[in-house]
Amino acid sequence: MGDKEEFDEGEIEYTSYAGEHHLPLIMSLVDQELSEPYSIFTYRYFVYLWPQLCFLAFHKGKCIGTVVCKMGEHRQSYRGYIAMLVVIKPYRGRGLATELVTRSIKVMMESGCEEVTLEAEVSNKGALALYGRLGFIKAKRLHHYYLNGMDAFRLKLLFPRPHVPQMVSEEQTKPEHEIFPRPRD
Amino acid sequence: MQSVREEESSSIDQEPRSCGDNSVWAHVSPLLSAACSDLNECELIHGDNFNLFAAMSALEIMDPKMDSGMVSTFYSIDEAIESGFAPVPISSDRTVDVQCIIDIMDHLLACEATWHMGHSLAQTVFSCIYVLRPERTSSHALLHSFCRVIRATCRALVSVVSDARTNELRACKATSSKRRVFEARRKANDFVFVVCRMMQNWNLYKLIRNWKRAFAKLCYAGYVFHFLHALNCMRRPQGRGLELARKHIAYCIAELESVLSSVEFLSLETVENGKNEMEESTTGSGRHPIGFDPNLNKRLSAPTPPRAIKLLSWKKVGTSKFSAIDYYVKLLHNLDQICAFKLEPDLDAVLQFVVQFQKSRPDLVARAHLQLLLVQDGKLYGRDTFLTICARSLALDVTKNHGLHLNEYILQLNQLMINLLKILCANTPWQRRKLGKILNDWSIFNVQMGITVGHMMQQVTTPRTPKNGDKSALILNHIYGWLEEQIHWVALRFLVLGFDLKLYSPSEYCMVYWYMYIILWKLAEKAHFRVLIIVHTEEQKAKKKEDYSRDMAREDRISLWVLLLKCQTSLAQGLTVMIAALRNEGMCLKSQGPFNTENEKFVQHFGLLQKASLPKYDAYESFSESTCHARLDYLPVYECFRDAQKMAKEIKVGYANDPDKLAEVVGLEQVAEHNIIAVNLLCQDRCLKVSFEFIHHPHFATAVVRRS
Repeated sequence: MGDKEEFDEGEIEYTSYAGEHHLPLIMSLVDQELSEPYSIFTYRYFVYLWPQLCFLAFHKGKCIGTVVCKMGEHRQSYRGYIAMLVVIKPYRGRGLATELVTRSIKVMMESGCEEVTLEAEVSNKGALALYGRLGFIKAKRLHHYYLNGMDAFRLKLLFPRPHVPQMVSEEQTKPEHEIFPRPRD
Repeated sequence: MQSVREEESSSIDQEPRSCGDNSVWAHVSPLLSAACSDLNECELIHGDNFNLFAAMSALEIMDPKMDSGMVSTFYSIDEAIESGFAPVPISSDRTVDVQCIIDIMDHLLACEATWHMGHSLAQTVFSCIYVLRPERTSSHALLHSFCRVIRATCRALVSVVSDARTNELRACKATSSKRRVFEARRKANDFVFVVCRMMQNWNLYKLIRNWKRAFAKLCYAGYVFHFLHALNCMRRPQGRGLELARKHIAYCIAELESVLSSVEFLSLETVENGKNEMEESTTGSGRHPIGFDPNLNKRLSAPTPPRAIKLLSWKKVGTSKFSAIDYYVKLLHNLDQICAFKLEPDLDAVLQFVVQFQKSRPDLVARAHLQLLLVQDGKLYGRDTFLTICARSLALDVTKNHGLHLNEYILQLNQLMINLLKILCANTPWQRRKLGKILNDWSIFNVQMGITVGHMMQQVTTPRTPKNGDKSALILNHIYGWLEEQIHWVALRFLVLGFDLKLYSPSEYCMVYWYMYIILWKLAEKAHFRVLIIVHTEEQKAKKKEDYSRDMAREDRISLWVLLLKCQTSLAQGLTVMIAALRNEGMCLKSQGPFNTENEKFVQHFGLLQKASLPKYDAYESFSESTCHARLDYLPVYECFRDAQKMAKEIKVGYANDPDKLAEVVGLEQVAEHNIIAVNLLCQDRCLKVSFEFIHHPHFATAVVRRS
């Protein structure tokens, strides 16, 4: 099961969620790989409301990875949320997950999201490294977040905002000690 | 939706029934059948209120992962009892009966420890039918009294933990928790009495034949007796029972060790029987205990879907990570640490103690006890007001300025301090989040107090003999300065907890150390200012009164702390410049992703500090400016590390009698030494690989240089 699959990147096809026929594929991947059990309502909640944020990866007709997301208002900001990301073991380490999640993040960015968040188990080094490379920071640690007693990290990606120059009053100028001296020539 | 409701109400065969709180229970079948006839296969009705929580809470009937009402082995506790699942007595053979009871005791302790660590009571302690139905065991004195002790302990601990979390109902709830701990202690006494009586009734022959088992029971009796007595002593007001509690804790640890040694004999029998499942076992003997079914109560754990939980194993064997016995040993050591704390009216000491205490990652029960000891009736240890504590840390006398106790700023400060101490006793992930949030409250309070105190001080500066009101203004002015120091202390704690919780990635270390440098510099400055105030006040007192004895120990202690902060400031500065230089010279990756820049990461990590005006200017701009020119051959890098090294040597002498502090300073010194060497090597060979590791100190990284 865990053996690496030989394939060429060009053989992988990515597609956006296109209807009920994709649902069993997504459900079986997530049920296999993630610890939390979700009901069919959870899947439908995501894919019916935000089909444009859900992507699937296929290799020779077989579904090998998926990403499921949502977006909406959250405390005065418009925020994207990555709910599930799965790539089956033989296809890992070749950038498929990065490609899937990047596609979703791009749509979120174009839709006006200010930030993207998700939770990942503290021991899930692969996921943490993947999101770290994409610019996510570990904003919080959530104590006993999962029902198996494990902690989670809340990861956040903030999109750049148009720069508004700040008015700096005299009082706000920096005291000398807080600037490192320039190096000698 | 309205019309559908009207239609279906006419066809409902069962009238809706009011349940008293403006809501009505109605039979759902007609609505469901009407909805089904309208829907095609796979269609879903989406109402606006069907949010993620509703979707996650929805369950699929007869799916064992979701349907908590699904019958597994037994439909009810009664059914389990009727089928002989939990017999009383367990066996007619006295020896077997005793063996089984010891297994039950072992398993219950494993259940209790698992519960302490965050799992539900229903799936742990209350998976035991003997505990659920104590009346059934009344004819069996030993089992009966042990189950009663367990129930009482659970009740007492629930009270202690809930007291530690409430603010408003403190007074009345505190009494109830004390009473509950007292009740539990009484039950423990009964249990010990039962065990002793049983030993008396056994004839010598039986006792010798079963002496190991008798010994195990005695140890358990001793353990629960001392444990509950210790908790009871710890709940005495103003920490009056701590000394006695320590004695009970010492007995507890000894009893646990005895339980462990007796078990070696008991488990031998199982090994001989060829059933060596010790690693995962929740009993000392390795046998499965009688009378437990974790599925019996799973309906009580709704609305979350029922999950199988893994109980802690009873004893650490082989590769198992953490056992119930380990848990209790750690808990007892944490409780002992609390009891050994000298309840000095000194805030610096309290803060340092709490920080040190949290280093061993104590669990909820120990943390709740610490919080209840520190904050009682709105005072520190239920004894000292925060005005006295605060004044003491500035060597000020507030006994004559009675009005200050009612001053609105002092009252608010009191509340802020209570909240801070409670937060510091919480688990570290939650603690960091709360600290970040309260910084804003502190900063608003600081601005308001600054304005008022500024006005008051303008009136005082007129040259005349100071009156009582003027003295109050002077004291408030000093407290205002002290408040700024506290805010920076909270900010520093927020930053260093990020290291403990592993929130920072190596590519972010540069900005984190820059921020730490800014906060540490200011904190050291404020603390140094406090030293000057104390020295000045003490000198004045000594001048007025010839026989006045100055508290030199306190002055030395604070001066040493200031020096420690300065040492850390230099290290943080050195690390900032070093990492910045490595980045500028392309030897270390910059923090850059496809969607954002370092600026966004900076804002996310330090947004709460900037909201609280720490510092008062655009921090990111300052960070970029101050780090963009750093180079490895830039001399101040060495100077920072050398300064830190020099200061660490001095501080070590001062902390010679404080092993914890001494260890920390030795760590800081090693970080400085190693980083000087690393910078040297990197200057000579720019092809070397460098990584940052926390091998000498948990918050200050050591550069590790490798050839490839």
